[in-house]
Amino acid sequence: MSARRIVLTSGKGGVGKTTATANLGAALAKRGKRVILVDADIGLRNLDLVLGLEKRIVFDLVEVVEGRCQLRQALIKDKRFQSLAILPAAQTRDKTAVSETQFAEVVAGLDELCDYVLIDCPAGIEHGFRNAVAGAAEAIVVTTPEVSAIRDADRVIGKLNERGLPIRLIVNRIRPDMVRTGDMMSVDDVVDILGVKLLGMIPDDEEVIDTTNRGEPIVLVPDSHLGEIFEKIARRLEGENVAFTTLTAPGFFGRLFGQRKAG
Amino acid sequence: MSTIRGRGRSLEIGIDRALAAATVEIRGQLEERPAFFRGSRAVANFGLVETDAAGLVAFRDVLADFGITLDAVSGVESLAPLLAQLDLAYLGAAPGGEVAAIPRPRARRSLALSNGVRPLVADFAGARADLAARRTEREAAALERRTAVATPVASAGVTIPATPNSAPAGVSTLYHRGTLRGGQTLHNLGNIIVIGDVNPGAELIASGDVVVFGSLRGVAHAGAQGDPSARVVALELAPTQLRIATMIAAADGDAGESGPAHAYILGDRIAIVPHAAADLGRREVIV
Amino acid sequence: MRELQEDPAPGSSSAPRRRGRAIVVTSGKGGVGKTTTTANLGTALALTGAAVALIDADVGLRNLDIVLGLEARVRNHVLDVLEGRVTLDDALVTDKRVPTLRLLAAAQTREKDDVDTEAMRALVDSLRDRFDYVLIDCPAGIEKGFTNAIGGADEAIIVCTPEVAAVRDADRVVGLLGNRTSIKLIVNRLRPDLVRRGKMLSVDDVNAILRLPLLGVIADEPGVIISTNKGEPLVLDDASATGAAYRAIAGRIAGTDTSTPEIPLPPTLFQKLGSFFGGRR
Repeated sequence: MSARRIVLTSGKGGVGKTTATANLGAALAKRGKRVILVDADIGLRNLDLVLGLEKRIVFDLVEVVEGRCQLRQALIKDKRFQSLAILPAAQTRDKTAVSETQFAEVVAGLDELCDYVLIDCPAGIEHGFRNAVAGAAEAIVVTTPEVSAIRDADRVIGKLNERGLPIRLIVNRIRPDMVRTGDMMSVDDVVDILGVKLLGMIPDDEEVIDTTNRGEPIVLVPDSHLGEIFEKIARRLEGENVAFTTLTAPGFFGRLFGQRKAG
Repeated sequence: MSTIRGRGRSLEIGIDRALAAATVEIRGQLEERPAFFRGSRAVANFGLVETDAAGLVAFRDVLADFGITLDAVSGVESLAPLLAQLDLAYLGAAPGGEVAAIPRPRARRSLALSNGVRPLVADFAGARADLAARRTEREAAALERRTAVATPVASAGVTIPATPNSAPAGVSTLYHRGTLRGGQTLHNLGNIIVIGDVNPGAELIASGDVVVFGSLRGVAHAGAQGDPSARVVALELAPTQLRIATMIAAADGDAGESGPAHAYILGDRIAIVPHAAADLGRREVIV
Repeated sequence: MRELQEDPAPGSSSAPRRRGRAIVVTSGKGGVGKTTTTANLGTALALTGAAVALIDADVGLRNLDIVLGLEARVRNHVLDVLEGRVTLDDALVTDKRVPTLRLLAAAQTREKDDVDTEAMRALVDSLRDRFDYVLIDCPAGIEKGFTNAIGGADEAIIVCTPEVAAVRDADRVVGLLGNRTSIKLIVNRLRPDLVRRGKMLSVDDVNAILRLPLLGVIADEPGVIISTNKGEPLVLDDASATGAAYRAIAGRIAGTDTSTPEIPLPPTLFQKLGSFFGGRR
């Protein structure tokens, strides 16, 4: 059976695509799936950093495309998981080094090796975006509940629709306290505007900064709220009907008010 | 007369004649007290004596018969590849006929510190092909570039071409003053010297040595065409990854030598040694 | 509709002025605050009376107009000008709150490939003859959009958050910028409490790699999201610490403020209680 090929994209930069790709991949791997993560951000690679695998990179995607190494040589296994590997991007090149066809071929070459290919898309809608999408059969759009991010997500959804990719949505960096005071859009608002099916809702969490700096996936941090959320998202991706957990705002009054269901 | 001397907890064996004859001599000396040296480790100084693989094996086996493990040999450079084949360390040339000094305890302590630096011997088939291709490109381009001026920064990464001089072909030193930013690269057939930092994401690839008068935080590859005697030297050695010849090493955690240090192959691993304790080896200088 | 003015309008060709400065605001990494910074710095400089033109170079993903609250007033955009459909004067949007500020919006339904780099450079050049400052809001990444945005600028401001990925991307961009008259740094979204707990990079950590002159440090503040959502730059809010920080940076850019940038400290206990019970700092 061939692998599911999913691109994580957003339009706007900095909404959490790379963190989501890494952690969703890790959550799937924890469930015993064979997962390969592909970093499509040639020249500004970060997926390896977020997983703490930077020091083990010998070959990268561009060298595979240029035939200077085998695909298997470029894959880096994350030893913390049963079956999670990444195909890193090149750092010293730029996105024009690889064409859409070439990128799609590389991803197709991963088919036999895993159950899931998750592609981390660069910010924007330029060449790098087109490459990343060329390798995918499904898309997850990541956005934050901010006007700029939603506007960019909308543009990206339009482009994905042109290519006929099924799309699901992750809303990231939600601040329930600000939603409650009306200073931030609710997830329902976001889903209404974008008109795409919701896959997950992730609260803002300062732990993310530290764990990404240290290269540790959140799903490996014991008792992590965010880790649980990623695991639920993974289950939903697998087709399970998982209820969204309630996000509570910090403070006395959190639970007294009707909270938007999230998870 | 071949000599066996104890120093510290090791033996130093000095060879001053053809190895075959010396081996016989050594065997004779050891037979006088067969159990005395059992369990010892030894280094040997071959001085100017040359030999072949068979001679080395015979020499080592004789020592092994008496429970002595040979670790390292100093002598002429032609020994280096032979020693590598036998998993013996090459300690460089020794002055005159003196026995080579055993690496001082301080250096060994730094080896212990650098246990965090593990060799990851990668499947380098692809890398070798790439290096060969780069070398061919460079040789072809060298003819055109004899009078070339260093080109200005191109849009995606800097590649500054080597400008070989009229010295023996292919050996030169590229000198770069300025910090290398992520994504920038310097490749040279010969050595590379950088006055400035080499940031993470930057890459230095040299067939010779790499010297950074600053912080090395990116990737450095010395001896990129397979020379295991090449080394990387920096004021602060904190690279993402180090490569020497076909060995790759990545540091565990944040442990790193602070202060000027050398990285070179010692035995089966890349060792990081503080400058004060480093064996400088010997390398031809061509200006 | 054109507004009649007695004095030559800022940016009109009849107003003689010294050649202006062109500064690109860039970062590499997305989401670190380039657009917010461009909007606030531009507004702050204009509030001192300087004539300021802001260009949104993020073709296809325009956001500068939203952050300034001017999206309803945008009629034309950069490509309309470059392709000769409208004059520059007609495309420049005025801001009623800040009379000497003008915005040239990006095209939303086009692509960055549609922009000719040379034409963009020429546009920036002509704006420099009319304005004291031309600030260019650069898109994320290092693709054609980036190349177009940096083309006409002598100076660059790097915006970077205290995170490893952002620092790496910023470093790449500094390398690609090559020689400019000046490249300076703004560290954005600092959380002094996290820095103190060792859970975030410090400004020194960031500049150990980037090694750039520091223009300013801005602490993370929830008020920023609110202001960008509403289109009200914080420099217009006298009570905002972030606004004050941007105004100081503007002063340093103009050369009127010679102070060294302050690094925000962790909040005191009383300040913390304040935000716990609601209400903005």
